[in-house]
Amino acid sequence: MSALLTVGNLSVSYRRDGAAIRAVDGVDLMVPAGMMLGLVGESGCGKSTLARALMGVLPGNARITGGSIYLAGEDLLAIAPEKRRERLWRDISFVPQTAMNALDPVYRLRDQMREVLIERGGLTRAAADRRAAELFGAVGLNARRLEDFPHQFSGGMRQRAAIAMALALSPKLIIADEPVTALDVIVQRQVLDTLRTLGRELGLSAIIVTHDISVVAYLCGITAVMYAGRIVEYGPTEVLTSAPAHPYTMGLMNASPDLYRAAEPLVPIDGAPPDLAHPSPGCRFAPRCPFALPACRERDPDAIAVGEGHRAACLRTGEAGALRELSRKAATWSR
Amino acid sequence: MEPLIQSFGLSKSFPLSRTLRQVLRAERPAVLAVDGVDLTINRGDSIGLVGESGSGKTTVGRLLLKLTPFSGGQLTYAGEHVDRMSAARLRGFRQQAQLVFQNPFDAVNPRFNIRRIVAEPLINLGVPRAEHEERVAESLRLVGLAEPQRYLDRLPHQLSGGELQRVVMARALVIGPEFLVADEPVSMLDVSVRAGILNLMRDLQQRLALTSFTISHDLTLVRYICSRTLVMYLGRIVEEGPTEDLILRPAHPYTRALVAAVPRPNVDQSRDSLPISGAIGSGPPSGCRLRDRCPHAFARCTAEEPRLAQVAPGHSSACHLHEA
Amino acid sequence: MPLAGAKLRKLPLGRSLARFARYLWQNPSALAGFVIYLVFFLVAISAGLIAPHDPTEILFADDGQLAASLPPSLAHPLGTTNLGRDVFSQLVLGARPSLLVGITAALAVATVGSMVGLVAGYLGGWVDRALMRLADLVLGLPFLPFVIVLVALIGASLQHIVFAVALLLWPNAARVIRSQVLTLAQRQFIEAARVTGASEWRVMFVHIAPNIVPLAFLYGSIAVGWAIVTEASLSFLGFGKADTISWGTMLQDAYASQALDRQQFAWFVPPGICLVLVVLAGFLISRGYEELLFPKLREG
Repeated sequence: MSALLTVGNLSVSYRRDGAAIRAVDGVDLMVPAGMMLGLVGESGCGKSTLARALMGVLPGNARITGGSIYLAGEDLLAIAPEKRRERLWRDISFVPQTAMNALDPVYRLRDQMREVLIERGGLTRAAADRRAAELFGAVGLNARRLEDFPHQFSGGMRQRAAIAMALALSPKLIIADEPVTALDVIVQRQVLDTLRTLGRELGLSAIIVTHDISVVAYLCGITAVMYAGRIVEYGPTEVLTSAPAHPYTMGLMNASPDLYRAAEPLVPIDGAPPDLAHPSPGCRFAPRCPFALPACRERDPDAIAVGEGHRAACLRTGEAGALRELSRKAATWSR
Repeated sequence: MEPLIQSFGLSKSFPLSRTLRQVLRAERPAVLAVDGVDLTINRGDSIGLVGESGSGKTTVGRLLLKLTPFSGGQLTYAGEHVDRMSAARLRGFRQQAQLVFQNPFDAVNPRFNIRRIVAEPLINLGVPRAEHEERVAESLRLVGLAEPQRYLDRLPHQLSGGELQRVVMARALVIGPEFLVADEPVSMLDVSVRAGILNLMRDLQQRLALTSFTISHDLTLVRYICSRTLVMYLGRIVEEGPTEDLILRPAHPYTRALVAAVPRPNVDQSRDSLPISGAIGSGPPSGCRLRDRCPHAFARCTAEEPRLAQVAPGHSSACHLHEA
Repeated sequence: MPLAGAKLRKLPLGRSLARFARYLWQNPSALAGFVIYLVFFLVAISAGLIAPHDPTEILFADDGQLAASLPPSLAHPLGTTNLGRDVFSQLVLGARPSLLVGITAALAVATVGSMVGLVAGYLGGWVDRALMRLADLVLGLPFLPFVIVLVALIGASLQHIVFAVALLLWPNAARVIRSQVLTLAQRQFIEAARVTGASEWRVMFVHIAPNIVPLAFLYGSIAVGWAIVTEASLSFLGFGKADTISWGTMLQDAYASQALDRQQFAWFVPPGICLVLVVLAGFLISRGYEELLFPKLREG
């Protein structure tokens, strides 16, 4: 399986109130072609910043301070910013959190699709209209709805229209930021099914950024867990959800309820994420980690291979099995 | 034992802005957000109300606490009609029935410090000043903020989401209510923090013998803290029963769809397709509200709106299929 | 997300002063406006000490002649009027009525505007409609002519001028504050106040009112400039109180004495500049404050 996207030691910093905040700190990621990667993390972990850095749409006060991004072998950071913007929708496209951020409320969908397909894609108007109808069909929307304005669509339909727009120029990679968070559960499922079908039929590669593990489990073959600007665990989703190797991932799994296993108590993770303006030495999770050793506070651990295509940034991955058992008990986490 | 809360035909409609034509025709279009809800809540119950957006569940919560006037129906609290309560009795009601909000950052005055926020009910209900400090500290301890002094002088933006939601709960509990309505209490919080708040709610229900009413779109959450659940769709209750029963043996097609739609880690759901299609609209004009999305709809569904009927002990559902 | 580890500041007053100082430092325009106000304020307060002469005193030169229309010199930094009065003293003491009118008018506009905006926005219904119709009515009146007529009818004291200005300027403040109140009333903490037993009055004055103070302040500072110029205009047009020395009356005096023809710049230019500066200061502060109130969303 060839790598479509390879991110090496990427760092992004913000300047806020005079302090530099390292929102993304030395991130390594790989998205194989034809697969969906789930980027999981809670608020403040840097996943949205990472997504924006990949797209090349960081806000003015943020800067990529190191590392590399290779898409299909090409070094994206070596391309001049103006050129990057040109290729934006063609190489990588984006489905934002609320579809209303992608759709212009004063234009019909047909016109918005045309704009992307004609301006950026160089198609003729007739070809653009054909493609737009095709795209709508692919996402399960009636092509007649192209005549409508965004406000005439329901939430789920809008999200699907945003996905259609993202697919317009057949990009190599789609980045979806919380694509179903704002939707009701039934509609959520419909949109997830749409994404899954697209993944299978078109061999779509995608990064799904979300805080919801169940979404990632449903959709993504690979998962990367992010905490305080770093990737703490990376590997096949099945493995991460059943046998996580990093204490934070273990905590997340234990804190996420399953509809049918209601008898098991939920275990919260006490405390809060660290202040990224003043990172302490050592593992970022150590202050909240029930298994932290003195060594953990001295050095930030590198990612260690735990299994095939599975790595975790923890000094105690060797004892992962035993730690997992302990992590399921509430007493382990309360201090 | 007499139920604590009972409602009969509770309804609420919101007027819509009118076009000129409608004004000229003296038409008053309105959205019937809640359309005839009957419910019974006994002391000590932990009830869940589940529904998607547009179901009317948030409005029901507000109606139960008389935060918005009824458009129809009745509500009794401890046997007394809520809409006929005098100002004095209403004060007593406010002491007994409280609300926990969805977004902790919006639910508190951003300019007040934590002490002032939690003391608000005490001030409003005329509790003597001297008692405030002690009761506020006690309430903060009750919700798991073990060192209240650390929080009292801080402002809301200095706290994390989880801490602030605990403050919101402390405010609701400081006057010792017996009935607590929680409207999406954890939906705005991070996953790792939710567990803490949910455990706290379970714990408080037991310790304080609270009667609770939790409104959520999340079945999983409701299963965790509610023993009995109601499912709402477009303003009506379509199914109700013990939460376990509802989830393991859902009777109503809508409930079945809700249950099937929940994505579950480590379970292959690829072969489960949803039993209903489309999205919530404004509903068909007659008969069962779900009939435009339900694959099982037949003639009777268009003609007649189904009523809640028992399908198992303590478990009822409003669907013609049960009788067919 | 705010962090639980945020430093705890003991004195909220100290914190807001520190924040204010830092804000001023980062905003040169607001700083300029603030400094101008401060300077004029200090001058007005210490006018009695600064002014070398009584502004109305007719002065005589050493040789017994009237010290009329003297050019600027060490004894008279801005020269004298055609009747031998020291211009500099007039300027310094003239700051008082101007600033007095400005500040009281600002307070009046802010207060009335807030009250009306609060009541209209919160109570809604016919109260809202009636108050807003009244506001529309007042907004339709021509400002200066109306003030002139009013002052002609009730007398030209400073209080009456303040009254007239406030009477005409409150609707702008009221409308904007009303919008703010409408937004605030939807916030959940207002609902929370009600569910915890607060009466409607309490919700209005304890919960909503503090949140509209910034806007009231903003409109107040806009009103300062208006009020001062109005007073100056009235005085210049001859409708002001005859025996008060203000920048407006100085200008009127200079005009009537044909100071322009005689190129006595030192007489009429300074009061003009002072007026411009004070109005500019009000504008700068209100603009800088607006940025403080509605900061651009920060990424992160």
